Amino acid sequence: MAQSIVRLQSKLMKEYYQDFSKYARGKEPEGKVAWVTAFTPVEILEALGISYYYPESYAAVIAASGKEQEFLASSEREGLSGDCCSYAGCFNGCLETGGGPRGVPPKPDVLIATNNQCNTLPGWWNVLSIRYQVPLIVLDYPGEAVEERAAFSYVTRQHEDFIGRMEALSGRRLDKKLLAGRIENSKKSIAAWQAVLRYLPQKDVSPTLLFDDINFLITARCKEETSELYRRIGADLETKPDATKERIPLFWLGYPLWYHPARYLSELLREYRIVGANYLTWWNLDYSGTDPWEQLFAAYNYTFLNLSQKTRTRRLSGFIKDSGAACAVTLHNKSCKCDFVSSRDIEIPQAELEIDMIDRNFLNPQKAKRQLERLREALCTG
Amino acid sequence: MKLLAMSGLIPEQICDVVRFTQYAGERNLPHYCGYASDFISQVMQDNRIDGAVFPKSCDSTRIMKSYLEKAGKFIYPMPVPTRRDGAARDYFASVIADYQSKIEDYFGIAIRDVKERSQLINARNEQVRTLYREIEGISFADYLESIHEMLKKPLREQKMRTSFQAKGMSGHRIFLIGSFLSHVSLVRRMEDYGLTVVGDNLPESGRMLSAPPVNVGGDLYREIAGSILGARVSPTQNAMKQILAEDLEEIRQKEIEGVIFLTQKYCEPYDFLYAVYKKALEGRSIPVLKISLSDTGDADKAELMLEAFADTLM
Repeated sequence: MAQSIVRLQSKLMKEYYQDFSKYARGKEPEGKVAWVTAFTPVEILEALGISYYYPESYAAVIAASGKEQEFLASSEREGLSGDCCSYAGCFNGCLETGGGPRGVPPKPDVLIATNNQCNTLPGWWNVLSIRYQVPLIVLDYPGEAVEERAAFSYVTRQHEDFIGRMEALSGRRLDKKLLAGRIENSKKSIAAWQAVLRYLPQKDVSPTLLFDDINFLITARCKEETSELYRRIGADLETKPDATKERIPLFWLGYPLWYHPARYLSELLREYRIVGANYLTWWNLDYSGTDPWEQLFAAYNYTFLNLSQKTRTRRLSGFIKDSGAACAVTLHNKSCKCDFVSSRDIEIPQAELEIDMIDRNFLNPQKAKRQLERLREALCTG
Repeated sequence: MKLLAMSGLIPEQICDVVRFTQYAGERNLPHYCGYASDFISQVMQDNRIDGAVFPKSCDSTRIMKSYLEKAGKFIYPMPVPTRRDGAARDYFASVIADYQSKIEDYFGIAIRDVKERSQLINARNEQVRTLYREIEGISFADYLESIHEMLKKPLREQKMRTSFQAKGMSGHRIFLIGSFLSHVSLVRRMEDYGLTVVGDNLPESGRMLSAPPVNVGGDLYREIAGSILGARVSPTQNAMKQILAEDLEEIRQKEIEGVIFLTQKYCEPYDFLYAVYKKALEGRSIPVLKISLSDTGDADKAELMLEAFADTLM
């Protein structure tokens, strides 16, 4: 089982990174290339044979390799404020120096950003579009801010326009059946991932594994192999022993810490067991609808970070209740203002840490330790 | 009713709003724009304010409702489109109509003067445009102060001053860009240091006056949407190439010697814009001074920076 999981992971990783190394050796990719944000309707690109890469995801890889400080500093020297999202700083620094752990992604023919996650990413993509002098497409998803019919009409007109532009770029006509197939793949991947997540509170599962494995849902959700990978991971977790009850069940409210080998503050959380994390649910997109237009609208207009506070609170409360968490660590993330407010109305004891998911120097470990001690005391006396 | 408004992207054609300028708020959110924090503070604490309207256009404003919804006041986050094509214009027209309908429902009023208000705004903007054309001969601080005073008043009472202090032509020619300039005192200080502002891309000046007039004979909401989206763009509107092209052309035409880039600390749209602006100006050998203010009351450090910048232009 473990071998087949590794084989599938390697295949997906190899496919994703193969052009990085080619490009690093000076070769041009064969097809057209898009750089996309994490909630882009990539099913359209996949159906048209356009390769797509995720700069955010690569910033996480850079931090995991330990090179983020060098790149953050380089980016700041070039004029990008250190107050900006560290994904942007880290990746831009990598472009300046060209020294990423796997080289750099192939040069984009088009840049595609969405605002269903935050408004930072479209700003960053603007900077990239000036650097590369290539077209920038920003897909605007109103979320719950307006009445649904108006939102559907606006989003669908954008999707139609987007498809037209991508057809022109790729020189192909979109095969609607192929698009439906890619959407079906995404649905299967998400269903299989949701099954995997159910093991986190029940079994002796390392959250590190899940923080790393969600990468495939982000970068390869509409590929055929992804659901199979998650099905096998689920089957593997099924064989794990049940979780013991000695440690305090804790909900991780925020991003994984990409620079940290465990992706969370394992050294400060020895008495706790992570039983849930909202980040792990963000790509559980709901492709409900009877045709691709409705499905893409439902999936990408109603992403978690594009929902109203009320809906987010309701969903998050549900996740926390299902996980059985007694408390939470909430990351007040320098790089993401939109995330930490999600926990404003959550009524379990929380330790709110000033942190960054990329910049390891941002956290004050002593202060975090004290906050976690106070959380422990609150749980004991509460 | 008194609605506090943030940004020029709010359609004043629908009803009077009080443009947010400055507030000594207690709220201080880590990594959060000081301008937005001060806005939240005023809505929460100022009993004369009945509600708030702001564009959902950056990460700070995007989550503002989460802080404001417990204020017990009318709160309208306006989803201003990030695009400016036909689909965006139709969509924004429906948003503007929804905004009107929500105000009518909440305050129990009927708004019937949108056409008349559109004409008044057309006329007001034309008046500001006329003054801007003559900006080289008048004090920019006086001009800006007059705009700020005007924007605090109901639309029917908004009148620009017509007489301004004349300025000498010997100072260094400066272009000013940034978010709403709460500190007019900074511009006075620039003038004291011999920096002569002869052009700007500020929301309350260069951007406001660039809005095309609303054609009141057409589909009114679509026309209002077109006017707002047709103005010089904000860095929240995903058109940095356009901002650069337009600003650099004005900078070239006016033979600008230095640019002052004013931002709020933690304002990402302007921080991203600065990164590309700086490179573009360096390529043209035009010095740029970035001043990052921590809140709407922070000006002391900026004055020192201005003095030093003025010295470098000597």
